[in-house]
Amino acid sequence: MTTSLADIQSAFQNRLLTGADDLMPLLANGGRFFKVYDNAYSLRLLEVLAEDFSALHTLLGDQKFEQAMRAYLADHPSQHTSIRWLGRHLTEWLGRTEPWRDHRELADMAAFEWALGLAFDAPDAPVLESETLADVAASEWPSIIFSFHPAFRTVDLLWDIIPFQQIVTRDDTPTAAPMPLEHPATWAVWRDPDSLSVCYSQLDKGEAKALNAAREGATFADLCTLLAETADETVDENAAAHAAGMLKSWIDNCWITGLAIKDNDKP
Amino acid sequence: MTKDNNTLTGFGLGLRPKHFPAILNDHAGRTPGVDWFEILSENFIKVGGPARRNLDRVRERYPIVMHGVSLSIGAPDPLDMNYLAGLKALIDRIEPVLVSDHLCWTGAHGLNLHDLLPVPLTKEALNHVADRVSRVQDYLGRRILLENASTYVTFAADEMTEWEFISALAEKADCHILLDVNNVYVSGFNHGFSPAEYLAGLPADRIRQIHLAGHQNNGDHIVDTHDAPVADPVWDLYSQTISRFGPIPTMIERDDNIPEFSELVAELDQARALCRTATREPATSEAAA
Repeated sequence: MTTSLADIQSAFQNRLLTGADDLMPLLANGGRFFKVYDNAYSLRLLEVLAEDFSALHTLLGDQKFEQAMRAYLADHPSQHTSIRWLGRHLTEWLGRTEPWRDHRELADMAAFEWALGLAFDAPDAPVLESETLADVAASEWPSIIFSFHPAFRTVDLLWDIIPFQQIVTRDDTPTAAPMPLEHPATWAVWRDPDSLSVCYSQLDKGEAKALNAAREGATFADLCTLLAETADETVDENAAAHAAGMLKSWIDNCWITGLAIKDNDKP
Repeated sequence: MTKDNNTLTGFGLGLRPKHFPAILNDHAGRTPGVDWFEILSENFIKVGGPARRNLDRVRERYPIVMHGVSLSIGAPDPLDMNYLAGLKALIDRIEPVLVSDHLCWTGAHGLNLHDLLPVPLTKEALNHVADRVSRVQDYLGRRILLENASTYVTFAADEMTEWEFISALAEKADCHILLDVNNVYVSGFNHGFSPAEYLAGLPADRIRQIHLAGHQNNGDHIVDTHDAPVADPVWDLYSQTISRFGPIPTMIERDDNIPEFSELVAELDQARALCRTATREPATSEAAA
């Protein structure tokens, strides 16, 4: 009885993923060069992860990095046609998988490096011109909602990992490991539309809250309320003026691609 | 059903990010000796930023051909329509002369192993792949080229040679062939078939592009590594190929140990010189065998 195409392919894949030996009887000449596929599979994927997470690689060292990445790949074999997305679950995985989850700096580093990569090659989108704000009727301001550029991200960090990452990016060797931050920090990561370089800057607590709310569909009025609530900590009493200024800086930084008026009949 | 944009001629190189400055900054127009570039489709599907901007600039100066690694035409899973939609959008934007991928599969059951895995050379696989090629061509509205991949195993179930499979596939699916001369040599070495016999078994009118690349010889087997200059036996096989099929558009792939751009341009000149010589001479007895 001949083996079906699908059965051969399942056996082939199982061999690469788990080392199962159902494949060997299906190969001619004893499959004596099958090792080429075996070697290529793990080497290629590890190489891509080491490239996408070079600072995490340095932080962990070769041996632990390979150990972690092999375990990650076992839990998250690639499901995307582009190998570029191989590391998309790594931050979440490092944050919940022993023993790595006990070292939060690892998930922080992965999150930051992944955001830099996304900012670098996210699809292009036309950004909003600040003059557009002048066209918004006063009565519509409270109901404005915002669309963000695909390259824009925020990253929440508990560890001071960015100096370490910057040293690795310069091809230098870090001399000290990252330390925990005194207070959690939120960073904005984006791509400048003219130079196409990736930029990042730390946000204050109120702006971070407002940005996260805006990305989830909050209106301008919602942002004013949020800022007023945190006024005792970070902003002055005029939340609306502060929100307007903040919105202008978002537009100037090319984070916003569009405005819309929220339909209040919709939840 | 399908349209042909088969106006490609001359010699090209794989477009790699390292070479963008040399291609775009040093010359107001085209680099002498390079007639077109081939891009890896996946590097530009749904991608913005520097990659997209640089591609657009190269496209202003050169014809482009698109070469994919993720079509997975031999896979058991349904065609990935999301991938095909991205591919089609890139085709619409870049207007490539040719669009190609590999005779291979890259994963099953929703997974992607990111390797060009060998298709069993059976009638079942032939029908399966031919049906999928037809559907891809209908969706894209154009013919595609499929490349012979380097392979390191064959299957006990095989019912035909690779050249018989590819020839039958091209006829059945009405697609074209991207003939990778290095891969013919590599697979021939690994499986013990004659490259000349392989060439003799191919339909000349279906071959629309040629790939050349370097490999690594490990003694008892060869690995297609794309990390070195084209090897001498592959140059010889290239001459035989041109003698047999004529001056088919040819390019050199380099994906690792990527040298300076000028070095690849010089290597491409070697292809051009061999092509000139081969088309002046009658087919050799070996190539015609």
